[in-house]
Amino acid sequence: MTLKIVITVIIGIISGYFLLPQNILNYADYIIDFGLMLLLFFVGIDIGLNKSVFSRIKAKGIRILLVPFAIISGSILGSAIAGIILKLPFNEAGAIGAGLGWYSLSSILIASYSNELSALAFISNVIRELIAITTIPLVAKKIGFIEAIAPAGATAMDTSLPIISKSTDSEVALIAFITGAVCTFAVPILVPFILNL
Amino acid sequence: MTTRLLMYLGIIVLGGLIGAKVKLKEKFIKRLGSLQTACLLFLLFIMGVKIGLDDKVINSFLSIGLNALIMSIFTVGFSVIFVYIINKLFLGGKE
Repeated sequence: MTLKIVITVIIGIISGYFLLPQNILNYADYIIDFGLMLLLFFVGIDIGLNKSVFSRIKAKGIRILLVPFAIISGSILGSAIAGIILKLPFNEAGAIGAGLGWYSLSSILIASYSNELSALAFISNVIRELIAITTIPLVAKKIGFIEAIAPAGATAMDTSLPIISKSTDSEVALIAFITGAVCTFAVPILVPFILNL
Repeated sequence: MTTRLLMYLGIIVLGGLIGAKVKLKEKFIKRLGSLQTACLLFLLFIMGVKIGLDDKVINSFLSIGLNALIMSIFTVGFSVIFVYIINKLFLGGKE
């Protein structure tokens, strides 16, 4: 699956760069929205077919919120350590990590602070999403299903969710959605907070 | 943001209800997997196209790409490690 995903994304980037006309962009967002809705609908059917999912999630209860908590703290610590290597101060590096893969919003939130940092936030969160869609099947196979949610961050509720759902099971897909939703709400709070530390 | 979240949730719930209540044909359920894969790859292709068409993104990829890559590898790596620890300690650690 990972190979298929990598090849597809690369073919997409190459055809976008070399072949396709700019005006396709006008439709791209609609196509993505529609495709995403369809996929989320399928994820829903998968969950509905496995009725035991809810009781198993209930058994875990509030502890499930530890997953987004771990992703958020891991992301901020990870980016802070990368910041030491790249000689970025903690608040700047940490704010990029706190973007949790939501590249559009995190770069907007940082734009008023510095254009340069905003661009870095954008690209590194785009790369985070690319890493997520390519490594989720691998992490699911080699490390574990719950861990496969981690690369996705905020995108666990939308663009990465179909991949998580395909690589794991309905229970983890549902945990992923909850995790993605919590992360999504955390981004606009955490990015400005860390930036102002 | 909240409307998007609600919309996604609504669609998943709708799919969930159909999966749980409607008697779906065995054939359809079997095809669901490949249907999902096809949809997913198409979506990823379009996402790639979007990136490829954006000159600003492509140019910044070349200039700050390495720094951004280091940043995201550490971010993803520590996310996975932290979830691994939490899963082992509090969530039973199986799967």
